Amino acid sequence: MTGRRVAVVGAGMTRFVRRAQETGKELAFQASRAALNAAEMTLDQIDAVCLTSAPDAFDGVHRKGDYLADGAGAWGKPYIRTYVGGGSGVFTAIQGWYTVASGQADVVLCVAEEKMSSCQPHPQGAFLTIFDNILERPLGPNLLWIFALEMNRYMNRYGLEKRDIASVAVKNKRNAADHPAALLGQADISVEDVLASEVLAWPVQRLDVSPISDGAAAVIMASEDAARRLTDRPVWVDGVGWNLDTTYWTNRDLSYPEYVEHAARMAYDMAGVTEPRKQIHVAEPYDPFDYKELHHLEGLLLFDKGKAPEAAADGVTARDGDLPCCPSGGLLGVGNPIAAAGLMKIAELFWQLRGEAGARQVPGTPERGVAQAWGDLMQVGTVVVMGVDPNGHRSASTATEPAETIGPTPLSDGEFRSASGAVDTPLDVRFAWDPGSAVGAFLDGLRDGRILATTCASCGRTLVPPRAFCERCFRATDAWTSLEAVGTVETFSICHVTWDMHPLEEPELPAVIRIDGASDGGFLHKLGEVGPDDVRIGMRVEAVWRPMEDRDGSILDIAYFRPADPGVRRELVATTEVTA
Amino acid sequence: MSPRIGLTGLGWTGFTPTTAGRSYKELMFEAAAAAYLDAGVDPRTDVDSFVCASEDLEEGTSIFDEYVPDQIGAVQRPVHTVASDGLFALATGVMLIRSGVARTVAVEAHSKASDLLTQGRVDAFALDPVLNRPLGVPALALAGLEMRRYLDASGRDAKECAEVADRNREHARSNPRASLGDPEEADVPTFDPLTTHQTARSVDGCVVIVLAAEERSNPKTVWVDGVGWSQDAPSVESRDWAKAVAAANAAATAFAQAGVDPGDVDVAEVDDTFAYKQLQHLDAMGLERMDPDRVNRSGGALGEGYLHEANGLARTLAAVEQLRAGDGRAAVVQSWRGVPSTSAAVAVLRSA
Repeated sequence: MTGRRVAVVGAGMTRFVRRAQETGKELAFQASRAALNAAEMTLDQIDAVCLTSAPDAFDGVHRKGDYLADGAGAWGKPYIRTYVGGGSGVFTAIQGWYTVASGQADVVLCVAEEKMSSCQPHPQGAFLTIFDNILERPLGPNLLWIFALEMNRYMNRYGLEKRDIASVAVKNKRNAADHPAALLGQADISVEDVLASEVLAWPVQRLDVSPISDGAAAVIMASEDAARRLTDRPVWVDGVGWNLDTTYWTNRDLSYPEYVEHAARMAYDMAGVTEPRKQIHVAEPYDPFDYKELHHLEGLLLFDKGKAPEAAADGVTARDGDLPCCPSGGLLGVGNPIAAAGLMKIAELFWQLRGEAGARQVPGTPERGVAQAWGDLMQVGTVVVMGVDPNGHRSASTATEPAETIGPTPLSDGEFRSASGAVDTPLDVRFAWDPGSAVGAFLDGLRDGRILATTCASCGRTLVPPRAFCERCFRATDAWTSLEAVGTVETFSICHVTWDMHPLEEPELPAVIRIDGASDGGFLHKLGEVGPDDVRIGMRVEAVWRPMEDRDGSILDIAYFRPADPGVRRELVATTEVTA
Repeated sequence: MSPRIGLTGLGWTGFTPTTAGRSYKELMFEAAAAAYLDAGVDPRTDVDSFVCASEDLEEGTSIFDEYVPDQIGAVQRPVHTVASDGLFALATGVMLIRSGVARTVAVEAHSKASDLLTQGRVDAFALDPVLNRPLGVPALALAGLEMRRYLDASGRDAKECAEVADRNREHARSNPRASLGDPEEADVPTFDPLTTHQTARSVDGCVVIVLAAEERSNPKTVWVDGVGWSQDAPSVESRDWAKAVAAANAAATAFAQAGVDPGDVDVAEVDDTFAYKQLQHLDAMGLERMDPDRVNRSGGALGEGYLHEANGLARTLAAVEQLRAGDGRAAVVQSWRGVPSTSAAVAVLRSA
């Protein structure tokens, strides 16, 4: 059974800019005001606020939801901030759906805000702490690493070239040229431009990536009765789905987002969508990187595994193609203020399905669309299916500009640095994380030069990193075992920049190493004694341990992994003294 | 409102100043396993949705929801986080079931406060970065400011607050879960009129509660018939310093949904992060005339410890235990997120 029927009745957003003068509260206000204006509503018609924003570290505010609440119209009203990382924007619409469907509220304002520019010296700094506090952070990973690792795995699995993927960036940046809120719209960009852009962490190049942005978006959702009072063109939320995969991302097959498929199936089932390739007329998949749009289109069951690149190259996903994808311009073109970018996709479907998308309007009379977002450690899928009544009333003119787009005031880097009253506060928060029984024993093992794993007698798996519980069987693990410190490169990247985008003299080589004997892969580490051009997926590697006297029970007790084949090794450039 | 929703399983661990040797994941696993056993459910097949309550800076991890699914049996299932107190997660579970998208939901919140060495710095980051934080006034000082304004406006005095602290700690001495029943060795003024004796101390712990639609209830079920939440102005410049406005709004919603009057309530587990807050919250919810012996019989946060975002679920756990034991028929559970927040949630529970 499902609760009450729920519709979107209004949407608004700010322009997405690299750096806004406005505070986060003010961005939330601008988007909320735009949505209310578009729906010709006032705040007293709103019963509750559904709010989201991604890491607190961007704004440098603890309990960011409380901080943003009055800007989002929640003073004296019920509000909850929900949160699933990059999936949050689309999830806010899911939150709006269940808040209304449950009867808790009749009309809700859903607001997604992101002000990334407050985080200094570079917003990527907020992502340094997304990694496992004990097993990964000591290696110094950054966000580019993991996407490069996933992209490489995807390309390797299906034999794709960079050219196959770059067409997505071209399509979306061209589409965004028609979006009044876009940061990076570019009508004349070409595949050659993308392929010639700076290599950040191979295979990721600068134009494969969406930009750091500030901005906010808002939609208004209402029960069926309220919706019919508020508009003659409600856009129904027909299905919602969300799904979170294991934290142990190095234990997953990175070439396919199973969690997106699960979320999509949940939403399609609710919406009665049995043949998505026929029944979905417009899609807004999540595209923070160009390969992610393709990855997600496959997870959304709109293309076979590994076939989305071919479809994109053939123009199927173009705005006038058989399945228009990201007609908004997506994150790659409009911008990526993370949570706001997700909710922007819901707003785009609202405008497309009402025939109000102006120059971005897809041809024909689309009746059903899907929006999707993704986030965490390449781990969460959030999916919403929206539709209009067949032959329902549409906008009189497709030339209508999208709903009001207002603010914010963009600041240049110089203007920001010279602004009076800027408050510079170091976070300076310290932790001493308890590794617990399982990881604690693992670290002890590393000090002794051993890789320890736990085993589950129920499913028969051997778990690296070890845990006290089997997440699949949900039972305590049964025993310990020791594995050889040898394995296989599952995927790798060649990183040319630091987390704050400074060039590295010598590239870093992060890799996911599948340890022999482990059931589902291994862990994140670095490669050494190998030239970047010589690394291959499937390469056999062995651990190089620090001298015994230097070990301190840390993931860094393994200095790096090197090729098992001495013929592939080259002289170590790093100065660290190690022992094989 | 239908369907009726039951709390069918409870699990907890910790409630001690430190839990050395156990990671937050291991605490969550222990509490979740206990809750599923209590409810008689297998999370891998029987739980439709999972809701966790946490804040990044308390955990020291950005996008902390990444780190929750495995140890609560939620891998490749619908899971999301509310950046709030656990009672908001419970209210979310209620909405998920009422919407029809789930029939059984698990909610989780935890504290591993002993991992955090600089709680004051985290609290400072909850203050407005431009207007308040540069003043260098500790966030906890807001409690002293509010207590003084509340006492002045309500006509209550500091002695009544001290009595709340005495009573809650005395209650805690008969609660095997509570570790802070003894009075503080020295009752030291902190942010006058606030003192250490009237301030809950941080502990580690985890609470997991299973909610289910009526047809999935079990003989232990306690019903959650109303939920509400609200907030006053987040800015310190605009809020009402005397009244707990959010608790009043939240209680009004929860009471109306449950069809319960404050006079029907015979169990109250309410926020007592600071002793005066218990009185202020009871005033706001129309429960000021309740028999004091029926309020926070668990010892509250003053006796059980301050569990950060798990406070609301700790109060719920205590109320459900009392209703299961036949010690009452209608309970109010209330939480507040602590300084400088003005967010509060309320649930109305009834015994079977």
